[in-house]
Amino acid sequence: MTDLRITTPVPTVGSNVQTIDDGLHGAAGLTASNVACWFGTKKVLEGVSLDMAPGQVTALIGPSGCGKSTFLRTLNRMHELVPGATLGGEILINGVDIYRGAIPVTDVRRRIGMVFQKPNPFPAMTVAENVVSGLKLSGLKVTKSEREDLIESCLTKAGLWNEVKNRLGDPGRALSGGQQQRLCIARSLAVSPQVLLMDEPCSALDPTSTRRIEQTISEISESVTIVIVTHNMQQAQRVSDRCAFFLAAENEPGRIIEEGPTKDIFTNPRDSRTEDYVNGRFG
Amino acid sequence: MTSTTRENAVNHVDEPRVTPVVRRSKVDRAYRAIATMSGSIVFVVMALIGGFLLYRGIDALRISGWGFITESQWAPDMGGAFGIAAVLPYTVSIALVALFLAVPISVATALFITEYAPRRLRRFLTATIDLLAAVPSLIYGLWGLFYLQPRLITLSKWLADNLGFIPFFKVNEDFGTSLGVFPSSTFVAGVIVSLMVIPICTSVMREVFGQAPPGEREGAMALGGTRWGVVRDVVLPFGRGGIIGGSMLGLGRALGETIAVTLIISPSFDAKWSILEQGSNSIAALIALKFSESTETGISALMAAGLALFVITLLVNTAASSVVNRSRSGSATEI
Repeated sequence: MTDLRITTPVPTVGSNVQTIDDGLHGAAGLTASNVACWFGTKKVLEGVSLDMAPGQVTALIGPSGCGKSTFLRTLNRMHELVPGATLGGEILINGVDIYRGAIPVTDVRRRIGMVFQKPNPFPAMTVAENVVSGLKLSGLKVTKSEREDLIESCLTKAGLWNEVKNRLGDPGRALSGGQQQRLCIARSLAVSPQVLLMDEPCSALDPTSTRRIEQTISEISESVTIVIVTHNMQQAQRVSDRCAFFLAAENEPGRIIEEGPTKDIFTNPRDSRTEDYVNGRFG
Repeated sequence: MTSTTRENAVNHVDEPRVTPVVRRSKVDRAYRAIATMSGSIVFVVMALIGGFLLYRGIDALRISGWGFITESQWAPDMGGAFGIAAVLPYTVSIALVALFLAVPISVATALFITEYAPRRLRRFLTATIDLLAAVPSLIYGLWGLFYLQPRLITLSKWLADNLGFIPFFKVNEDFGTSLGVFPSSTFVAGVIVSLMVIPICTSVMREVFGQAPPGEREGAMALGGTRWGVVRDVVLPFGRGGIIGGSMLGLGRALGETIAVTLIISPSFDAKWSILEQGSNSIAALIALKFSESTETGISALMAAGLALFVITLLVNTAASSVVNRSRSGSATEI
């Protein structure tokens, strides 16, 4: 199984990548097989199997309440933080089980980063501190010059550097919503994740900010696998390589109805429900 | 444009519309009146207490003048000098000893409850701590006097023997360092008071820590943060106001604690640095001890001492609540 590991070049996050990573870097593949989720006794997700290939952008689409966000949160073990939440099935990163394997949960979350629907920069920290907060949080040490390189390179990748390079000492909360979200992306990139999960990252943002973030997604997708939940069909078409359509029938757990190359899902879906959804006939 | 039309022409049309608003606001007004009255009772009572203390204490203050602040002896009944120069520092040092112990324990307990404890234990612990807050201080005093003090003075001796170079821990060598010099000290009283303060501090801190924004918590977790990392970078910065506010509420309680302190200390009117040595005092204990045996001037002097305590406690609590309120709104997390 370990031969699934991809040996793409080290992402250019400054020269310090070697020191802050454990030798596992570059976009990684995620494989979910037969994942099921419960909140208490309520089953919200069933039989979800999905391959998220390294270096690709996978979009999860579907109406509200179909379990796509829940599924996303199982991918970096955020699901289990909800009291009463349980799951079944298996999720592998480069072939290694993230739930039963030897990888500590903090490492799982560092290697599989997450950007949330609502921008959540740390208000007590400056812009610069926010970017490198992940290092401190996970106990990684860098020298001062590495830190500065990392701040610049991550903010550049997130398309924010030019706007904030003179405001690095400002509180993170002083930025606009779109800037805050890009700051959160920069913060996630600073710990060199192999996968980045994005839970409707643009739903709280204006069209301009949305476009900037979509740009960022296509720029970073070579070095990090991206899984994005979106309600915006155009966005899914613009940014993703593959698409998975989730649907939950009434009082049934959510399932993947159809999954495949984005182009096929939108132009030539196999299932009529997919066709109805991507054409805006429900949801 | 619209406003001129309204003012000039629609005067009569407006009136019928006003009627239901008046009817509704009658209920509202009644409720508002009741609420305002209840609210202002607090101020009235405060003012009455303050005014009463001032009224009754003013005679003694006239006699002593500034000596009330500079004099450490307390002999108003025999026409002698009296002042709070010893009693007040003792009061404050008992409270500080109590806070020094209570604050770290409270922060740790509150963090354990909000961040680490499993949910069942969390509820149980919260209930137990609230119960501790309800135990009468007399019980703490008795337990402290008969159970804790004999055991605690061993620690006092250890501190004096090993950390005696620090002024607070130094004891008068004339008595030697036999265990006999250690009971009834500021330290023992402070420890007992700390036990009473811990539930209050913990309650406030737990409340505030629990309000740390889930979004920020998850953000920290998703970066691979350890539990401690989340506490340090999210919970503590957010809860800073709660820590300060909780501590100051505790301080207010500690300053005014009466019966337990009265039971523990042996009254002293000579201010000293040592917190371990026998002999301490507090304004509240002074009033409790002297009240029944005082003459008119003596009582007036006690009232004046009470006024001093009242003012200090009021200041501490006001500062505390303003800090706590600010942290609740989350503004303490800005910057």
